Amino acid sequence: MSVPAVISVAQYLDLVNDRLREVPSDVGVEGEVSDLRVSHGKWVGFDLKDAQGGGVLKCFMTVWQLSVPLEDGMRVRVTGGAKVSARFGKFQLDVRTVELVGEGALKRAYLALKRKMQDEGLFDGARKRPIPRFPERIGLITSREAAAYGDFLRVLGNRWGGVEVDFVPVHVQGGNAVPEILAAFEHFHHLGESERPDVLVLTRGGGGLEDLHAFNDESVARAVFSSRVPVVVGVGHERDESLCDFVADVRASTPSNAAERVAPSRDEVRYELDAMTRRVEEVLRANLDARRRIVEHAASSASALVSRQRERLTSELDAFGTATDRWIPNISERIEGALRVLRQVDPNRVLARGYSIVKSGKTLLRDASELVVGTDVSVQLSRGTFDANVLRINGTGKQRLV
Amino acid sequence: MAAKGKKMDFAKAFEELEAITRWFEQEGADLDEGLKRFERGLELARACKERLAEVEANVKEIKKKFEA
Repeated sequence: MSVPAVISVAQYLDLVNDRLREVPSDVGVEGEVSDLRVSHGKWVGFDLKDAQGGGVLKCFMTVWQLSVPLEDGMRVRVTGGAKVSARFGKFQLDVRTVELVGEGALKRAYLALKRKMQDEGLFDGARKRPIPRFPERIGLITSREAAAYGDFLRVLGNRWGGVEVDFVPVHVQGGNAVPEILAAFEHFHHLGESERPDVLVLTRGGGGLEDLHAFNDESVARAVFSSRVPVVVGVGHERDESLCDFVADVRASTPSNAAERVAPSRDEVRYELDAMTRRVEEVLRANLDARRRIVEHAASSASALVSRQRERLTSELDAFGTATDRWIPNISERIEGALRVLRQVDPNRVLARGYSIVKSGKTLLRDASELVVGTDVSVQLSRGTFDANVLRINGTGKQRLV
Repeated sequence: MAAKGKKMDFAKAFEELEAITRWFEQEGADLDEGLKRFERGLELARACKERLAEVEANVKEIKKKFEA
């Protein structure tokens, strides 16, 4: 290609950039991030520096290209195309990929992402949903090879049976892990209600931070967060934590623990069933007993009433008996008394003792002075009567009473 | 989580049994009603226990396009 002797600035830069395209773009350049800045929420710029020796490379990219959180001081490996910007006349690297290098950088990136999601409220306890107590269908997302798969199913079977496990085999590490896990969530998310599991389980065995990258991936964590079905996440061992753990509705420590969290224990449920039937029976029995007691009480108080009445009747009769018993002698006594009195005043008794009753006509004679010589009188003796004539009157005498 | 066209809805049966137990705890005075509920409770408990006897989980692998 022949080049004219004189050209414009833009034409010259095009020429330079043509040559720069010959620099291989797949080579990874490793260095430390400094002077990081984001403009208009769109453009990311930073300097990539060697820790020693002072080499500086100006780097540019869009925020959408950036898949990891960057901070000054992080060690990263970038790839991209070298060029001189026509606008600023500066040499720069158009960054295509940024990858964090070393535990330290990963840790910092992890913490930065965790803070961001926490600030967004993705870890809030209030949005965590309860999982049904007796799930009928469980969606299981894990690797077929992992011990996690076997552990989960073994513990599940020990606790509870008859559930349907919809198993989606995925890689839990390596380059395919993130897209596969996302596809699994997508699958469950779009199932109709009749096919949707009651709970999802995302699980794997333990590992270092690098190993857990799929569980610390922002898009996976967001998929867990926005899942229509409640999610149990169980990663490795107690000491491990991942972003998925924090966004999960239920956090389990291990795959076995995940099984314990989703399925109730057969023994506990059996015990509970027994306790409930026992309780129901107890209450019913107590109720029946109470009623029986009421009936018995009513019967016994009725019979008490009857016997009390009978007692009263007998005592009444007794009283009547004794009253009448006394009444008759009383009466006969009174009659006797009356008779005695009568007997005392009976004039016949006086006559029987030798006295006589003398009458003139109808008049009873008590005083001799009332008599006239020659008058006829009648004399009544104790037995029989006779008439007499007054011959003489011998004096009047005086009445003397004792 | 309701009817899925399955043999028996364990959760529903269990809840009904819980409700019956609660009824006995709180009311339970009506003897006829109590006997009726008692029988229903026993029936539910028996059905739940039968369900407990199932041991295996039925694993259905969903292949689709997931594995690379």
